Amino acid sequence: MTSDAVPGSREPFDPTDVTWTPVSSRLVGARLTVTAIVLGPVLALLVVMAVVVGEPWVWVFPALVALLVGWIVWLVPRQVRAMAYAERADDLLVRRGIMFRSLVVVPYGRMQYVDVNAGPLARKFGIASVQLHTASPATSASIDGLPPHEAARLRDRMASRGEARLAGL
Amino acid sequence: MTSVPGTPSAPGTPSTPSASDVESVSDEDVTGWRRMHPVTPALKGWKVLVAVLAIGWFQVGENIEQAIDLLHGTAFLALIGGILLIGLIGFGYSAVAWRVTRFAVTDEAVHLRTGILFRQQRQARLDRLQAVDVVQPLLARLVGLAELKLEVAGGSGSAVSLAFLREAEAEALRAELLALAAGLQRPGPRPGAAAVATPVDATATQPAPVPFEVAPERQVYELPMGRLVSATLRSGAVPMMLLLIAGAITLAIVSRDISAAFVLLAPLFAGVTFVWSRINQGANFRAAISPDGIRLRHGLTESRAQTVPPGRVQAIRLRQGPLWRGPDWWRVEINVAGYGQGDQQQRDTVLHPVATRGEAMTALWLVLPDLGVQDPAALVEAALTGMDDDGGFTPAPRRARWVDPVGWRRHGVRVTERALVTRSGRIWRSVDVVPHERTQSLGLAQGPVQRRLGLASFVLHTTPGPVSPRVHHLDAGVAGALLDEQAERARSARASATPEQWMRAVGAPTLDAPDPVATTVPATDAPRPEPTTGPTTPEWASEPTAHPTPPTAGAGA
Repeated sequence: MTSDAVPGSREPFDPTDVTWTPVSSRLVGARLTVTAIVLGPVLALLVVMAVVVGEPWVWVFPALVALLVGWIVWLVPRQVRAMAYAERADDLLVRRGIMFRSLVVVPYGRMQYVDVNAGPLARKFGIASVQLHTASPATSASIDGLPPHEAARLRDRMASRGEARLAGL
Repeated sequence: MTSVPGTPSAPGTPSTPSASDVESVSDEDVTGWRRMHPVTPALKGWKVLVAVLAIGWFQVGENIEQAIDLLHGTAFLALIGGILLIGLIGFGYSAVAWRVTRFAVTDEAVHLRTGILFRQQRQARLDRLQAVDVVQPLLARLVGLAELKLEVAGGSGSAVSLAFLREAEAEALRAELLALAAGLQRPGPRPGAAAVATPVDATATQPAPVPFEVAPERQVYELPMGRLVSATLRSGAVPMMLLLIAGAITLAIVSRDISAAFVLLAPLFAGVTFVWSRINQGANFRAAISPDGIRLRHGLTESRAQTVPPGRVQAIRLRQGPLWRGPDWWRVEINVAGYGQGDQQQRDTVLHPVATRGEAMTALWLVLPDLGVQDPAALVEAALTGMDDDGGFTPAPRRARWVDPVGWRRHGVRVTERALVTRSGRIWRSVDVVPHERTQSLGLAQGPVQRRLGLASFVLHTTPGPVSPRVHHLDAGVAGALLDEQAERARSARASATPEQWMRAVGAPTLDAPDPVATTVPATDAPRPEPTTGPTTPEWASEPTAHPTPPTAGAGA
């Protein structure tokens, strides 16, 4: 699937025998909505302030915020496209990030519990997030933006596979 | 059972059938409920008093003269009365808490009931036992009592604390818990079946009170007080303190005002506290090996005896600051799932506070008897002090100097058949070892600069603790391959790993073979004299399968 590999260098974040499943593109909408909710009022307030004050230099502040919004609007779809997961026979791979990239391999046998979360906004957009927990708090394997049925399937699959490979710590 | 004073616990009859049995439905078939020692409230209650006094002191401390003025006459009496009252409340609360606290040990679990208003019933499964500690705070030590702490891997606050018991009782209970956790049968009910220890009372048929014999142990190293003190003084905190003192004096001279120096009092105090706690915790540090696992004893005021069963150590780290380089001392720390984060971690996760090179190797051997290489001494040597590709390490490529100009030559990783060894730090040297079967999950990380240089950092996730292994700035391709291979290796290692009940792997031990340690551990009871060279670790090379921990023994069986 999508791979923006650097030409000329072997791509460690894209192992050859792995088929990546991208997360739902509805996550873009959800994340942008969050941005709008947070930054929208700020922007509106700054614009109103600039209008009231009337001095041209005050427009710098709303412009900065608008720039930030623009950057986020540019960034979020790219970020979401970079997020993917892959189920292998014995472990789950989770990949994320463009600039700061990370790849986590979580063996099913090490899984302690699986969380499925869906906030009100996420439900509106029809997505949920799955987080895998091992005995290590450093395992940061969460998959955001899964369709709910896919999240449920993944959860059940994790649970059953974890059981099959049951081990202590 | 050893008769606890005030506890009419004939086995089979519930000790007090009044309150507890009415509420408990889940574990009412558990018999043999026991109480803590009746002196417990006295030992716990005084803490309330101290806390109140401390709070009072901090409140009054600033305007102490006014307070003293106030205290003349009847106010003084009132204060004394108040303190007494608070003390009484503290003791009363502790007494009630003691009354409702009881515990029972079955073959599968330890049950603990606590709480006055909010009742809590806790069951800790013995096969998930991570460590057992016998802790004796100063006061308890004076009256011969001890706290037994069972660590299970449930995050912070998941430990089961049995406080306080008589010392002998705590020891016996520890032996019992460890034997049960190891998967041994109680000696009584099925005589001769799988008993590791001779029952003291051979005719005993009741399940609860049959004592297990304390597993034999053999000391492998101990820390001389002199070395601990001088090593602590050489740690990073002390130069910092000296700097602070110098700074305070200069400040006072320059500003011609002594009070200016008091600004630096707080960090100085922190430094002193650090030094004291290091010495206090590391004093009398001794490590021993037994079939139950690693035994650590330490502490000056509060003495702790920790037992970490085989296979419970998740990762090990050896560290050396710049000032320890001369005498070649190493601090050895471990990750154990039960030992939580923060404060406690400092104290519980030390395998050796100040190890010589030889002792560091012994400590490593305690955890990992077989490193999975032909010449472990050379491997450890290369890991501790080596650079670049010494000892078969995969180093960071030369272009990593752009992101880490000082330490790039030390970054390296070596994979053996049994463990992953990572190496880092040029000034603060650090070596991490993680057995393959203890790998939780793996990761790669890459920042923009690393990406431009074709580098990536390899991360290995382990349970919470002082060890968090990662190899920075490996070649991206190498790191990717390592991730793949390591995932595979960890999987196959897990498949053949020790079962949670570690004695199950070696089968039922016989009655007359109680001491595998004495014969198998080479003579390391004295601190090993000569530090580095090859033949000092003969146990690795010559007898890799002789260690009492099951992975090797099971492989032979």
